[in-house]
Amino acid sequence: MGAEIVVRSVGKSFRRYHPERPRTLQEAVLSGLRGLRPVERFWALRDISFSAAPGKMIGIMGANGAGKSTLLRLIGGVGRPDEGQIHVNGRIGALLDLGAGFHPDLTGRENVYINGVISGLSRREVSRSFDSIVQFAELEDFIDSPLRVYSTGMQMRLAFAIAAHAEPEVLLIDEVLAVGDISFQQKCIQRIERFKSQGCTILLVSHEPALIVDLCDEAIWLRAGTLVCHDEVAVVTDRYLSESKKETERRTRRERPAKRTANNKRSVTESLE
Amino acid sequence: MTGLVSGTTTDQWKHPPRQRWLYIRDLLQTLVARNMKLRYKRSIMGFAWSLLNPMAQLLVFGFVFTTVLPLNISNYTVFLFSGLLPWSWFSGALFEATEAIVGNRELIRRPGFPTAVLPIITLLSHLVHFLLALPVLLLFILTAKITLTWAVLALPLIIVVQFIFMLSLAYLLSTIHVTFRDTQYLLNILLLLGFYLTPVFYDSTAVPQRFHLIYSLNPMYHLINAYRAILLHGVWPDFVALGLVGASASALLLLGYRYFLHFSDQFVEEL
Repeated sequence: MGAEIVVRSVGKSFRRYHPERPRTLQEAVLSGLRGLRPVERFWALRDISFSAAPGKMIGIMGANGAGKSTLLRLIGGVGRPDEGQIHVNGRIGALLDLGAGFHPDLTGRENVYINGVISGLSRREVSRSFDSIVQFAELEDFIDSPLRVYSTGMQMRLAFAIAAHAEPEVLLIDEVLAVGDISFQQKCIQRIERFKSQGCTILLVSHEPALIVDLCDEAIWLRAGTLVCHDEVAVVTDRYLSESKKETERRTRRERPAKRTANNKRSVTESLE
Repeated sequence: MTGLVSGTTTDQWKHPPRQRWLYIRDLLQTLVARNMKLRYKRSIMGFAWSLLNPMAQLLVFGFVFTTVLPLNISNYTVFLFSGLLPWSWFSGALFEATEAIVGNRELIRRPGFPTAVLPIITLLSHLVHFLLALPVLLLFILTAKITLTWAVLALPLIIVVQFIFMLSLAYLLSTIHVTFRDTQYLLNILLLLGFYLTPVFYDSTAVPQRFHLIYSLNPMYHLINAYRAILLHGVWPDFVALGLVGASASALLLLGYRYFLHFSDQFVEEL
């Protein structure tokens, strides 16, 4: 078990359109077919290279909008990189967008089958691990009730339980550990550790450096779409934390003057109107 | 841009193609069953409910064209119903399939989810409604004392040809709808016009000769004629016409599918 992930000088750009880009055929015709082409390309990721050896767990950290989720999706085969290549040779399991395909009017049981098949299990595999999924989610008493009577936490528990039974060789995790109460979080972490001990290659995106230190072997730091460093987990988190601290100080110092200019601007536009 | 060398190679299915195929089958089965359950869940009369629309049309058109403006078509009920059912499948499924991508954002963003099954699922769900209504048509046929012949065996073939034609359109429409969100609205207008320009409630022999060429460019014209041939007249359908429709629909499907695949990498970005 366990598979290798190789990411070679990957870049992903998003098209940025004119703000008045036509969204309907009607607008397109009225605007004389203008604004249909992207104005520019915006690189969400650029020149990212790293590899994960089979059985390693790598934490990915970085500020909001640094490209962490985009990277995870590309590795999962959602969308195509504009530059470079990604190689993954193994069955991919993903703990992103939990609960895709859940429908409130169907029972927990029906939803387990639907979501299980969407997650890449065959119907037979879902049947085989059905009891185990329900037990893991601790929802034995509710499994034949429609999903709409479940609390959000209960739905997330069910979703995580299904994803945890997909027997992946590569696991992509995006900030889903904030699911449920503390005891269930512990259970999720134990489950992830079990995947790890079985030799599963794991990428974990998290804003919680402590979690990454606890679980991961290595870490990657992304900033504005570029890779700052990829090293032992302690090295990267130290650098990341000290940099974040400096950044926070810099921002707080700039806070007040920045506010004043914003106010000035607003009053100017108001007077113009 | 280095479009040629970039790419993702994920051998995430590790299974041989046979298993991959079995997985797709499971996916289709599960998601079609989901649509069925959602549609019929709350009403025991769910099935009758789904027949309400074609039955209401049947009543109104039946009244208008036998009593108000008599068309003098024998067995008009069977004639009308054998045109209305395939047309309802066609228009209802296409209208819904146009939203197959836009309406399934979370599935599109899921690693490993084969996006191309989404339009198929919509068409199949509507096919099930179509098939469930066939016994009612059979009832009308028996009441009208029409004798069914072996020609009925051609029914699966006609259904397959219609499915291919619909799927090719569904791939094109669902892709266009991602960029232009009024595609469904425009389609609705076209479907309304199509209903009158396809011989659904009138007979194709009533169409003047000089319009025949234009009419024959409409695949639904040939398909509805074929349904009527086997169900109403008890003769084999025009296999040449059916073959031509099948061949051009297959070519269109190839085109539509490639168009769909070409843009499918951008779906995530646009939704």
